[in-house]
Amino acid sequence: MTYSPPEENTLGVILGRGKRREADATRRVIRAATPLRSSLGIGFIGVGAILIVGLFAAYSLVWLVALWDTYSDPLIALAAWGVLIAVLVTTVLATRSLVGELSNWMFAIFLAGLAVAIALDFYAIWPLHNIGGYATASVTAGVALVIVIVMRRATHILVCAGVVGLAFAVCMAINTNLAPGNVAPQVTTLALAVVPAFIGVVLVRGFRRLVQIELDRVLVQSTVSAPRFAVGMMASEELARLDLAAEELLDSVSTGRTKLPLDPKTASVAASLATELRLHLIEGRRETWLYHAITESDLLGKVVTLADKGSLAGLLDPQQRDGLLSSVWLLISDTAKSATRRVQIDVRPVTQSVETGYGRKITIPITLTITGVARNKVDPATWEALGKIGQYSDSTQNSTLRVEIACLVDNPAEQ
Amino acid sequence: MDLIVKERDRLLQRTARVFGLSFTVVSLICLSLPGSVDLPTYAICFPLYVVLGFLQYMIGRSRSLGWVTAAYIVGLVIIILVTTLPLTSPGQSATSAVIQMAGASLASTAIVLTTDAPRRVALVAGFVMVSLTTALVTSSFQPISRTLASIVLGWTLAAVIGFWVSAGVPQVARRIASIGRAHRAERHASETEAQRRQGARLLHDTVLATLTLLAHSGVGVAPDAMRQQSADDARLLRQLRLGATPIPQSSGNYNLEKVEETVLGTTLESVKQRFGRMGLEVSWHGTGQVLLPSDVLDAFLLALAECLENVRRHSGVTEAHVTITDDENTIRAMITDAGVGFLLDDVDSARLGFKESVVGRLKEVGGRARLFSSPGSGTTVVLEVPR
Repeated sequence: MTYSPPEENTLGVILGRGKRREADATRRVIRAATPLRSSLGIGFIGVGAILIVGLFAAYSLVWLVALWDTYSDPLIALAAWGVLIAVLVTTVLATRSLVGELSNWMFAIFLAGLAVAIALDFYAIWPLHNIGGYATASVTAGVALVIVIVMRRATHILVCAGVVGLAFAVCMAINTNLAPGNVAPQVTTLALAVVPAFIGVVLVRGFRRLVQIELDRVLVQSTVSAPRFAVGMMASEELARLDLAAEELLDSVSTGRTKLPLDPKTASVAASLATELRLHLIEGRRETWLYHAITESDLLGKVVTLADKGSLAGLLDPQQRDGLLSSVWLLISDTAKSATRRVQIDVRPVTQSVETGYGRKITIPITLTITGVARNKVDPATWEALGKIGQYSDSTQNSTLRVEIACLVDNPAEQ
Repeated sequence: MDLIVKERDRLLQRTARVFGLSFTVVSLICLSLPGSVDLPTYAICFPLYVVLGFLQYMIGRSRSLGWVTAAYIVGLVIIILVTTLPLTSPGQSATSAVIQMAGASLASTAIVLTTDAPRRVALVAGFVMVSLTTALVTSSFQPISRTLASIVLGWTLAAVIGFWVSAGVPQVARRIASIGRAHRAERHASETEAQRRQGARLLHDTVLATLTLLAHSGVGVAPDAMRQQSADDARLLRQLRLGATPIPQSSGNYNLEKVEETVLGTTLESVKQRFGRMGLEVSWHGTGQVLLPSDVLDAFLLALAECLENVRRHSGVTEAHVTITDDENTIRAMITDAGVGFLLDDVDSARLGFKESVVGRLKEVGGRARLFSSPGSGTTVVLEVPR
């Protein structure tokens, strides 16, 4: 076993450089949990896109039939349709069953096919001098970009739609006799060719975001059943990595491959390994489920700050934890303005102990301080979720919403 | 499930907004073309377009059906005004504007009207109202079949989008929920594994001691001893990695058998030997044979070893004295050196590893540590653990 310095330590610092890499805990967890993350539900949306294109193509084909006698050479328009249908069918079959993905060259062939279809269609209707009024296969080719929308980046789709739009605009400008009655069909046809791809991009992006949020939420939800103090999801993995790094270093020292005395670089690696091992062994189990929930989540981590000096959040029972997490999710995931939202959770020391029918309980005061959201904009379900934690009261001051919750928990001293 | 439903609605609303606004703009462009409608009609319709744009923007934000209804009303008013108001017959562009309005801009509302039964009723009602009105008012400008074909296409596409996303989301939610269950199991497994590794504390302590020596380039220790120690620790780590929970016993550092109580004397001797190898002469005084519960003994010895390591590294002398005393309740160790000493305020105790390695450990077994020093007059540490 030869020793090579670890590229980064567990705090995300690349050794020897001191730069902090962005920690993206959830993404790592999801990557571990789902190798095919990008395909989560997106395949179904892809089928929907095919359906949409199919419907639109059928509509356009009806137009082709209706306009058949108008064309000087309808067979060329038919050829455009032949090319288009062949390209679409091949792409759908290849991506959905045979290959399962759309590689660059397949995308290039797909685009070339669309370009040929558009060119043929334009050639067929060129003598009519009204592209907007007679375009069929070419408009469908623009809409057909939607088929690959779930398989390519949004920018690719948008650029392609832009190029199609540009081709339409230029040909229309050259070809069409601009009469008052002639312009509107050009505008609407141009819009039909370009806008669907744009809407599709918005929809797919939103859908991906929805999946991301739900995954983030569900993964974090597993902390609800965690013990009072827990190591984070990554702790054992990090500890294992540190152990392995230490093992390799020690092994290489013992076999003499690393010369004694050590050079300063290796010595500093040993020092940082020791420090991290200490941190992990000694500090690792001092954190509560709430801390892990917030740090492991991409979304919560950005907006929620936690002050829980006594680690009292660990005393909450699963239902209360669920209520707290749900209310925080509802508070931050609402509407587009969430960029300015901040939630501060303060868990303060025990105030009193009370006798209940189920034995003595202690009260932990929890305060949620929410900035960037008005009282009347808070989702009604939030209050329901807050009720699960305990009795609460809310107040507004300086555009800050403050919710005080008295959380009754079992007295740990009596367990 | 509740949250994902909200997210789904939000997604549908945003899509409807983009869909609707795009084609409202297209319709307005058509209406603005020369030869479309006369100026008074345009002047009346333009503000209505702005209102419709606002309503469609609000559809993107709110789930309320009120915005949808208002959008229908404003859209229908525009359609009727454009076709009936102009004194001269409206041009081809005006018809295009009306078709875009009915078949795309208003059709966008279908996206948000697919999720439950009352909304689907509203969808059908809206479709019937818009398509019939449009077909009637445009009947004199173009064939009804053509008008209806465009409108039906637009509404169908929008409704398909709505239905498809509504159907896709529960599927995704199920998949995600199963991932969540797997993740929960993984969290428990991770917790157990971390416990196993953290539980191997003695092992980690010897590894830490060796790493600390290496961090100082191994200076002050005979290379052979260093290599031997590294080999032992690497072997133990390998065992841990392969699934066992090894307990170091023979490397001369610690002596731990899994027994309830261990004799302090023999283990103190091994600590002494270890530091002897590294060039620090440790003299023992006082009680030699004390029985301690193994966890207390561990903490005590580790804290002691940490203090001696600090002496070795920082004091500048090669000799340290350890006095062990005991009474009925406590065992006390006093570690003294005649080295350089330091001002307690000057040196961050965390830097010496004092806080975590010594104080923290002793605290866990109910003990405590005190530190006395001043420049030039050596350092004394007192460690106490309960018996």
